[in-house]
Amino acid sequence: MKIRVLLLSILLILPSIATAGEAILIGGPISLSGKYAKEGEQGFIGFKVAEKWVNEVYGGVRIGNRRVPIRYVYYDDESKKENVTSLVERLIKVDGVRFLLAPYSSGLTLAGAPVAEKYGALYMSHGGASDRIFEQGFRYVVQTIGPASSYQRSVVDMVKAIDPSARRVALLFEDSEFSRTVMMGVKGYLKEKGMKIVFERAYPRNVKDLTPVLTEMKARRPEILLGGGHFADGQLLAKQMGDLGVDVKAASILVAPTLPAFAKTLGKEANGFIAPAHWEKGVRFNRENSKGIGLGYFGPSQEWFIREFKKESGGLEPEYHAANAMASILAYVKAIELAGTTDVDRVRDAMDRLHFVPFYGEWKIDPETGKQVGHKMILIQWQKGRKEIVWPEEAQTARPCYPMASCPGR
Amino acid sequence: MRQYIPFLPVVAIYGTLFLTGLLLEGMWQPMALLAFYGALGQVFNIFLGLTGYVDFGYVAFLAIGSYGMAIAASSLYEDLGWWIVPTGFVLAFIMASFLSIAVGAIALRLKGAYFAIATIGVSEGLRYLIEGTGLWGGSMGIIVSRPLREAFGREGANSLSTFWADSILYGIALVAAFITLMILKSRAGYAFLAMREDEEAARVMGIDTTRYKLLAFFISASLGGLIGASAWTLKMNYVFPSDVFDIVYTIEAIIIVLLGGSGTLLGPLVGGLVYGALKYWLAVTFPGLQLLLFAPLILVIIVAFPQGIIGILRERMGSAFRGVIL
Repeated sequence: MKIRVLLLSILLILPSIATAGEAILIGGPISLSGKYAKEGEQGFIGFKVAEKWVNEVYGGVRIGNRRVPIRYVYYDDESKKENVTSLVERLIKVDGVRFLLAPYSSGLTLAGAPVAEKYGALYMSHGGASDRIFEQGFRYVVQTIGPASSYQRSVVDMVKAIDPSARRVALLFEDSEFSRTVMMGVKGYLKEKGMKIVFERAYPRNVKDLTPVLTEMKARRPEILLGGGHFADGQLLAKQMGDLGVDVKAASILVAPTLPAFAKTLGKEANGFIAPAHWEKGVRFNRENSKGIGLGYFGPSQEWFIREFKKESGGLEPEYHAANAMASILAYVKAIELAGTTDVDRVRDAMDRLHFVPFYGEWKIDPETGKQVGHKMILIQWQKGRKEIVWPEEAQTARPCYPMASCPGR
Repeated sequence: MRQYIPFLPVVAIYGTLFLTGLLLEGMWQPMALLAFYGALGQVFNIFLGLTGYVDFGYVAFLAIGSYGMAIAASSLYEDLGWWIVPTGFVLAFIMASFLSIAVGAIALRLKGAYFAIATIGVSEGLRYLIEGTGLWGGSMGIIVSRPLREAFGREGANSLSTFWADSILYGIALVAAFITLMILKSRAGYAFLAMREDEEAARVMGIDTTRYKLLAFFISASLGGLIGASAWTLKMNYVFPSDVFDIVYTIEAIIIVLLGGSGTLLGPLVGGLVYGALKYWLAVTFPGLQLLLFAPLILVIIVAFPQGIIGILRERMGSAFRGVIL
């Protein structure tokens, strides 16, 4: 009896040992504590869910005739750059990870990049949006998150599609690396589209009153407002626009309107406000839509992702950081399959040719820089107290209301 | 010659870290992390340990030093080539020194909490000045990866960031330790000791306390500037004001010095080692839970060694060892 139990145990254990030995290691430092803990937690659960889908639903990465599972390896970087360098080295040299997931934020992504480059390990940015990362000449750094310069471009596209006569734009951003990169990115695009910047200002972080600058902006009679930075200032901006009666046809604010707290605090004043987002629950990127744009779909459905995310997190709602994280692992899986090998240089070359659609939206990088160029920002808009996806058309859950004064419930 | 004996344990520890990093696969960066905390503790100790004053805005010197290197690298790489590195260190030293003299000349006339508040104000004020005026890239900061790649080539830049920046840091740490030893063994050391115990009495005895405080402030700050230039700009390749003016580094420096033993030569190094090693070990063993475990462990160590690890060791050791461990 004892021998039988022993043999059974060995039989049960053996496949898992073989699998663990064969697994493709994908991992990186992640901020589970410190100032990026909230975003880090989302990303972390996103990676775990991705690992589950690849191994349990998809059946492992197809390399030739084999199906190889993946294993997610991680350490907490405490949102500190010093920890990132030592953990990236450990992941590469001790754990043997060749497919790295960069930490959250542009700064931390930059901190680990030289170590990844030195050892020739691929380094996927899922939370470093700064365009400048991809202007440094790195070979192994690639991006899944859309670059910051593209954040407000979709708003320009949307306005131009609805109201080609709109020209006067105000730029009012928080003074931070991220917001300034967004602002610089959209400035060039506005000129390209023949629009005129009538007001441009950056306000300091932790600003408590925007009425002087809004009063000045109002006098310039802008039709479109592009602005914001983080949650608190974005919410203040929206509230004080209402207080001062600043009437624009469209107002797109970074970050704040993407969060439910925005509408809870502002009530009906929230209706009409737009925000760019990488991904939003309800967005309709699926197998059918991807056929429409001539691309292959890869990965789980959005419904599966949301259900498993909630299960893994104990009830948390997934945000775009989680969707980003999952898309990063899916891109690695697709690139390895395309290369037919786990050789890093061949996988990097395959990434240049990779163009697919997961539930997160298009994935394609610029071969020269590794910057994400396929992913388009979606736009959400508050309508009747609900967050609707209004752009691009293929992802819409509602049509955009324009001008914002006409928005239902406002 | 005997006076240099206490320097030997310092050399031995940094030497061990360096060789461990060099010889053991995947240990270079973790050893460099320990060296960073050791060096940070040592340069901070030159002011805190010698004068008893707590500079809560100390991180400003590391930050200004990191800007010195970033300015040299980003604006002079086409003309100077690899000379941007020595030029960057000179600039970092000059900028941190000037800042220390400007701040010290005013703030060092204040005492206790007033001094602490003034130094926080300087650090935060400088950050807002840079962000608000758009100076040195403003809130967007400076990224130097590309200039370093242009000046050193791809392999050279990788090697500079992942090996040479750390090696230089070991050098700065040794210089800081040597200067500390020289001060402790000199006449100035007695002046500092008297001043730390009772500043008023020291002044009555004819010690120019402001001058001595300024001297310690200047040395500590300029070495801090060199650490910022090396461990941040050269190693990480970027300087964002929100990252380099982070008060957390000052708090870490205070913990390290108190943990190892304030005013001693070996204390800040041992404090840095314990602090860094504990953090790293917990991070790789219990990812996500390390800070939960780290805080009580630090508390236990501080309760067990109220005068710092080296302080207690010196007290309990025989007189023969006191000459070796300073």
